[in-house]
Amino acid sequence: MRSRALRPRTSTQLLVYGLLGLAVLIVVFPLVWMLGTAVKSNGQILDLNASLWPHPFEWGNIVKAWDSAPFGRWFLNSVIFGFGSTIGQIITSLLAGYAFAVFEFPGKRILFYAVLCGLMVPFSTVIVPVVQILGTLHWLNTYQGLLVPNLASALGAFLFRQFFQGLPPQLAEAARIDGASEFRIFLRVYVPLSRPIVAAFGMIAFLQNWNNFLFPLIVVNSTKMDVLSEGLSVFQGQFSTSYNLMMSAALIAILPILLVAVVAQRQIVEGITLGAIQ
Amino acid sequence: MPSTSSGRQQGATTGSVPALGGGRRQRRPGWLPHRKLGRPLLLPYLFVAPAVVFTALFSILPLVILFRRSFLAGGIFATHLSWVGLQNYTNTLSQGGGQALKVTAIFTVAFIVLTMGFGLGIALLLDMKLPGVKRLRAPFIIPLAMPSVATALIWATLFAPQIGLINRILSVLGIPQADFTSSPSLAMVMILSFGTWQFFGQNVILYLAALKNLPVEIMEQSSIDGAGAWQRFWHIRLPLLQRNTILILVITTLTGLQTFNQIYVLTNGGPNGATTTALFYVYNQGFVQFNTGQADAMAVILFLISLVITVGQVGILGRRAHREI
Repeated sequence: MRSRALRPRTSTQLLVYGLLGLAVLIVVFPLVWMLGTAVKSNGQILDLNASLWPHPFEWGNIVKAWDSAPFGRWFLNSVIFGFGSTIGQIITSLLAGYAFAVFEFPGKRILFYAVLCGLMVPFSTVIVPVVQILGTLHWLNTYQGLLVPNLASALGAFLFRQFFQGLPPQLAEAARIDGASEFRIFLRVYVPLSRPIVAAFGMIAFLQNWNNFLFPLIVVNSTKMDVLSEGLSVFQGQFSTSYNLMMSAALIAILPILLVAVVAQRQIVEGITLGAIQ
Repeated sequence: MPSTSSGRQQGATTGSVPALGGGRRQRRPGWLPHRKLGRPLLLPYLFVAPAVVFTALFSILPLVILFRRSFLAGGIFATHLSWVGLQNYTNTLSQGGGQALKVTAIFTVAFIVLTMGFGLGIALLLDMKLPGVKRLRAPFIIPLAMPSVATALIWATLFAPQIGLINRILSVLGIPQADFTSSPSLAMVMILSFGTWQFFGQNVILYLAALKNLPVEIMEQSSIDGAGAWQRFWHIRLPLLQRNTILILVITTLTGLQTFNQIYVLTNGGPNGATTTALFYVYNQGFVQFNTGQADAMAVILFLISLVITVGQVGILGRRAHREI
């Protein structure tokens, strides 16, 4: 009875596999199309009667794309922006989340609500005043302008607070009796325990920062300071008719993140689920 | 002295405030380890300072500036500003802003229906107890993780006139070729299809997690009672998923409202404003046309819409949580 209910009939099974297969195909196909177009010759792309399969494979297109724009610099800027922001968000959120979870101090609730305000204010709605503030500080077109506004995460503070609240308070007692300082207890007892949730949060924060386009778009505007996403849109403007070069450029931008996604898929899934806080 | 005051405060907090996280996680009563004397008083403030200062400087302060400037006329870095009342708002609504709000509504509603529909559908399939199905979850996170500017470029070539794949398929089928960037409705189709492809994986993951948390006993009981698959879904699973659905709806709505990259890359708001959403309008007025006042007015409207959605969610879910307890 039970096994029959849980195991669908063969025809249903085939339907399920068929639908899922189709969905996976739709998800993956654009990436295959990108790779295929990247290595086609211009002639083949423009010839409406040519086959969709690349013939011959012109792998040189990818090198050509790399050489025709400062991708190295854009990667460097993305690394600085992506990693810098993420590490900053993890540190400030761990500190705040921990303090909000375990310390009692006057003004705690107000400060906590202040941090939560960050969740209520979508960044995209304050792009104009943020540029005004950065302009006043003379931080437009600088690394500090890219990084400093992105060093805190309300979501991170909230998640870490919840995590630390769930830990038994006895944990710190032994260390406290040994006379360890509060900061040491935080660093040596609590931070190591939070590694899984830091990994999950860090992963989605990293992807968000790495893929962030709107913020760098309004804060920096020079080839030297552009991050990869900005660079790609500049590239699009210059090579809008060379589809093979455009797809090579997209490939260059996608490949490293694809590797990250494959290696860290569990953390990404966890991070997405965690991020949907109630 | 410090210990008494902080002790009183903690008592008050434990008693009256249901924990913020969904109202379910109550603070344990015995959880008072930090009242001891001799703790450094300053330390908690040092811990929270970075998060508080950065949030204040780059979320709260900008919001205050935004509201103020939405009633003032003057360029982005102007120092001489004059009070114009609601003029920025009326200008915004009459000069394309009204249409931008309409475009935003159409895009967001379609985005919600498509991503939540496909999300729930695929999640239900992935939740079936069939061999190998679990492994098929991974591909759905790919579009989410990729830089959307790069994947939007793929879309641009897929939908390109004549030599793009879509137009090649159309011509094979004998359907006239379509120019997706010069027709208002086709431009919307293009950004919607990309937005759905890019984001629906998130709803797959969220619905799948929700389905995994459903009580197994109820499902088994109902199948023994002879409820069909459709009945089980409609009368048992869907009501049980209501809470998650509201949450997913809110996240999806906020994501839809903040859609920017695909529009920038694929249509640049065109043709003729047909894909200019509220956020794209803010960007365009603020940083292309340099109408700071109008950009700010629209940003305030967008902020208020987001706020109503967030607060509404807290209201609905909070009330429900109380009833459940």
